[in-house]
Amino acid sequence: MNKLIRTLTIVTMGAVLLCANHGPAQTAKPGASQVPPPAKRPERVEITKGPELEIANDQFTIIRWTTNNPGGADVHYGIVQYGTDPNDLSQTAKSPIRINRGHSETRFRVRLAGLKAATTYYYRVTSEDSTGTSSGVKSSVNKFTTPAPGERIVARP
Amino acid sequence: MNRRAMNAVLRTLVVVVFAVTIPHQAVPAPKESPPTPYNPYPAGILPSDLASEIDRVRGEINGIFQQALAEWKALPPPTLTGNPPTLTGSGYDMVRTLGKLLNYDEKMSVVQNRACAFCHMPYAGFSGPIPSVNLTMVAYPGSFQFRAGKRTAQRYTYSPWFPVLQFNDTQGLFFGGNFWDSRSTGFLLQNPDAEQAQHPPLDPLEHGLPDLACIAFRLQSAPYRPLFEQVWGQGSLDIKFPHDTEQICSTPGGAAIFGTDATPIKLSPEDRTKATRVYDNWGQSISFFEKSKEVSPFTSMFDAFLAGNATLTANEMAGYNLFRGRAGCTTCHLDGRGSTRTPGTGTDGTPATTTGTDTSGAADVTPLFTCFGSANLGVPLNPRDAIYYQTTPDFFGFTPNPFGFGFRDLGLGTFLRSGPGSAPNPNAAWISLAPTVDGQMQVMTARNAAMAPTQCPTTEAPGPYFQKEFFHNGYIKSLKQLVHFYNTRDVFAFNVTSGHCPQGTTEKVDCWPVPEVNNPNTLDHTNGNLGLSDTEENQIVAFLQTLVDGFTTPYPNRDTFTGTCSTGGTAATQGNATLISNYTLLPCASAICGVPPLPSAPIQ
Repeated sequence: MNKLIRTLTIVTMGAVLLCANHGPAQTAKPGASQVPPPAKRPERVEITKGPELEIANDQFTIIRWTTNNPGGADVHYGIVQYGTDPNDLSQTAKSPIRINRGHSETRFRVRLAGLKAATTYYYRVTSEDSTGTSSGVKSSVNKFTTPAPGERIVARP
Repeated sequence: MNRRAMNAVLRTLVVVVFAVTIPHQAVPAPKESPPTPYNPYPAGILPSDLASEIDRVRGEINGIFQQALAEWKALPPPTLTGNPPTLTGSGYDMVRTLGKLLNYDEKMSVVQNRACAFCHMPYAGFSGPIPSVNLTMVAYPGSFQFRAGKRTAQRYTYSPWFPVLQFNDTQGLFFGGNFWDSRSTGFLLQNPDAEQAQHPPLDPLEHGLPDLACIAFRLQSAPYRPLFEQVWGQGSLDIKFPHDTEQICSTPGGAAIFGTDATPIKLSPEDRTKATRVYDNWGQSISFFEKSKEVSPFTSMFDAFLAGNATLTANEMAGYNLFRGRAGCTTCHLDGRGSTRTPGTGTDGTPATTTGTDTSGAADVTPLFTCFGSANLGVPLNPRDAIYYQTTPDFFGFTPNPFGFGFRDLGLGTFLRSGPGSAPNPNAAWISLAPTVDGQMQVMTARNAAMAPTQCPTTEAPGPYFQKEFFHNGYIKSLKQLVHFYNTRDVFAFNVTSGHCPQGTTEKVDCWPVPEVNNPNTLDHTNGNLGLSDTEENQIVAFLQTLVDGFTTPYPNRDTFTGTCSTGGTAATQGNATLISNYTLLPCASAICGVPPLPSAPIQ
């Protein structure tokens, strides 16, 4: 009997360890038509790169930044609060991205439309997931200048 | 009945008489002769070889229909035992064979000239089988020619795995359903794929039947009726149809004489219930076929690789590492693998492995390469799409698209609003969510995107290749272009519509027109500036080609293509010769973009 209990304990621990090895970053079995639950959230979400201007042209401007993978729902919204006065960031742009459960980092990109050419804008960024849960990230105020009409700015990834 | 309606019915009868004289099992199919074809298209919209290509596909379909009949006749006699009674031993084969017969039966359409397979042939991964249609008009000509839909035919492969459409509260997102706009929710049959099979027969632009009871009516005289009754119950087709049923089932849906009546065949309540049950069984049988190894077999090179029975080439492996690494394709097209990413590598990092091996743990040995979600990827409007030109009434008084170039495809957003060209939304609680999903289309499995006929086994120029079309509106014509779009959508964005890229640029190479649904609040920004090189794009295409079924065992009927392969050119500009510029885009019609709850940003 003791031998049986020992064996069961080892098997159970082994199963737990196997599950732990696979971890929350793994996908659920799509073959079973299951929708995966939200990914585990880290203790803290931090900006590891940016925010910065990525692309600017006659149509739109894209602001990007990178954080550690925020977990949570599959879709997150990058949010940029902006304006031409650093004390009045009353305009808001919001664009969805999908987090990749297998990646340790996540890049946010937000499209701002209707900006004036050759104008300096001030902004800060934050994010939330598709349930409205904030990531807790809030950048300091930064600035960028839109290009002159007909000019394009494109930063490498 | 007024004189015009009477004339319409008389002409229809002529069609019926003609149609019933067509030997149903003939190979190849005979010529068809609709009374007064609907052709509102400017010159050049319909491909010049359309008539011969329709005949070609019909011939192929009838060949496979004969094959299915032979398979049915080779089945052992059914044995019903147990309680509940079960078709012991042969039940699976019987339902699969029935689904196959239904899928390839041309009689299940108003002019008895369109099987489901007309838009879904095996050699195309059960998507569109006519290269010239894929290159030009996008949607396939329906049973009453030349009405046509608005979207590319989605692949059947692995569609039965999608769950019932749901708004998942813990994710704050929609998952599941079938169709680009997820309108086949699956809420009644608890199977979106089975409900998917119920839409095209009644779509005026596809099979064109005016009443779901027409399916039961046609099944009464089907040669495989005994099989249907063995599977779904003796007497299941014993429905007393009124004398005018043939007349009604031969008049295309949408005809003015029907008004808004969705049940023009007047049946007793009991028979109406029976006919509806038959229609459910139709969908369930076809879904069973689609889930079988004949359609969704998990026999790709990648499956063999996961099982340790195949080695990817260096190019394919590099493509796979990009797919799950820097390109981030596994964000939506889940590969079911454990993560090889380690802290510090991130989205900018170098893949952990570059050749030959996969060091991750297996989370799923049969990954579906979809997340069951939806996204607005920002695909440009495709002015070649047949839907834009169908603005005048046809012979039967039906106007497919009264909005002309004011039509915009809001996908899931239109469905939630029960909007034009979609289906009624059965869940009022979802209506308010429409502005969050405008422009979203279903994330299809990446499996079999690269499926092509045996004799022209690639989708990529210079070939010999089989011309396919990608995304909901067929704007993209090769996998190279598809990957390049994800890679550079925002880098080469221009404020133009298709056919109007600035001089010195090449559309789809270094110019991407504005998105069809240009709403920054719903436009997915995961991609658009990936920084992939030309070689890296090609490596991802090479990986996608490992997801084609038929590597470990031959894919059934992949060799039935009797058409001609294309050759020449480059994958980067494949199809660019068919771009057009002579059209005028109208503002989004108020019946689409002006319906509450309004889009969160104006849609041009």
